[in-house]
Amino acid sequence: MLTKRIIPCLDVRDGVTVKGVNFVNLQEVGEPPAMASAYEAQGADEIVFLDISASAEGRKTLMHVVESTAERLFVPLTVGGGIRSKEDMRTALNAGADKVSVNTVAVQRPEVISECAQDFGRQCVVVAIDAKREGSSWKVYTHGGRRRTDKDAIEWAAMAQDLGAGEILLTSMDADGTKDGYDLPLTEKVAEEVDIPVIASGGCGNAQHIYEVLSRTGAEAALAASIFHYGELTVKQVKDYLRERGVPVR
Amino acid sequence: MPVRVAIADYGVGNLHSIRKALENCGASPYIVEDMRELLEAECVVFPGVGAFDKTMERLQPIKSGLVRRLEEGVPSLGICIGAQILFETSEEGRQPGLGFYRGKVVRLKAERVPHMGWNSVRTDDLILRGVGSPYFYFAHSYYGLPSEDIAIGDTDYYGQVPTLFLKNRTYGTQFHPEKSSESGMRFLRNFVKFAEAST
Repeated sequence: MLTKRIIPCLDVRDGVTVKGVNFVNLQEVGEPPAMASAYEAQGADEIVFLDISASAEGRKTLMHVVESTAERLFVPLTVGGGIRSKEDMRTALNAGADKVSVNTVAVQRPEVISECAQDFGRQCVVVAIDAKREGSSWKVYTHGGRRRTDKDAIEWAAMAQDLGAGEILLTSMDADGTKDGYDLPLTEKVAEEVDIPVIASGGCGNAQHIYEVLSRTGAEAALAASIFHYGELTVKQVKDYLRERGVPVR
Repeated sequence: MPVRVAIADYGVGNLHSIRKALENCGASPYIVEDMRELLEAECVVFPGVGAFDKTMERLQPIKSGLVRRLEEGVPSLGICIGAQILFETSEEGRQPGLGFYRGKVVRLKAERVPHMGWNSVRTDDLILRGVGSPYFYFAHSYYGLPSEDIAIGDTDYYGQVPTLFLKNRTYGTQFHPEKSSESGMRFLRNFVKFAEAST
């Protein structure tokens, strides 16, 4: 039976892991390769690095970090943030990423999804969607959540799938940083709409939140950052909690 | 002498993990960019990166020689797409495969595709000897459906999917041992021992 995945996410700026609230007030929390290995030892099913460097220099630093991580990490590594073309994706894959997530570039130039899927296989192509509620629907934001678009998040997820996305990394901007739990209605809507796996992200404050999103929505994976980075919970504790409640985990 | 393992580099994707994993398992891996070098190798790994056609484009020129080596029993391992290209055809691509494994690669029939994440593998084969928890990482939309008796393990995903193959001395895995943490390392250690015993 396919198990549900727990994915620690490392926001990386200039090669260092940071954590902020609603995309601002960033604090440094550690070295990405060591953190990734520690999470693997705890039972993490996958690791995500999101590069939030503002400069080209910072992004180059990330590729070195990916290389040294890939040499000692034996669970899948997804790299995202600042990917602007198929060539950027190739660079990240060659540096050691197993999957690459695209966000802004996919909104601006959706055909990049198909190009990447064709060359690298669709299982490598993750489309990251930052969504914010407006009334009864959700709009897609780009540029690290700074720019609103007119795209409907649910429709965009379906389109990304049709273009060749292998997975959707869905972040609720309303929930992100609040620690009040995942955005269940948003996650459920997207997971119903698409047939590819959906990773829920944003809002995780405790193990119960992970249980809720994995048992009440069609999400296949839950991503979390601060609960792991600050040592509030280990991945193993989360998995024990889920297992006791009948959620299949490794 | 550690067994020398040639890892085929088709020009896309991450070979760091498989190289490092094989090293940790006592082998002496090296990356091969010129596919002709595979014909001289004492052990070959076809890594699990890329798409079917792109991969076969690289292998097509040495196809008959390579199949002869596999038939002769050179110990090898195909991972994910690297296992799929061992079959005759694939619904994913237009290029023919190597045709060493009889059968075809077909699209998964499931509510969610790709089959992505950790799932268990059932087998009696010794290649999983010592694996405590038989969960491995999968990321695929297609799988090999053999027309000969080479499937030695399977996995539940909307039905039984063959996920482990063996013909002569060529193992094929639909999962990624190099991404499967402790279980994967154990698998690769067993494979390296198998290769040592075969060379």
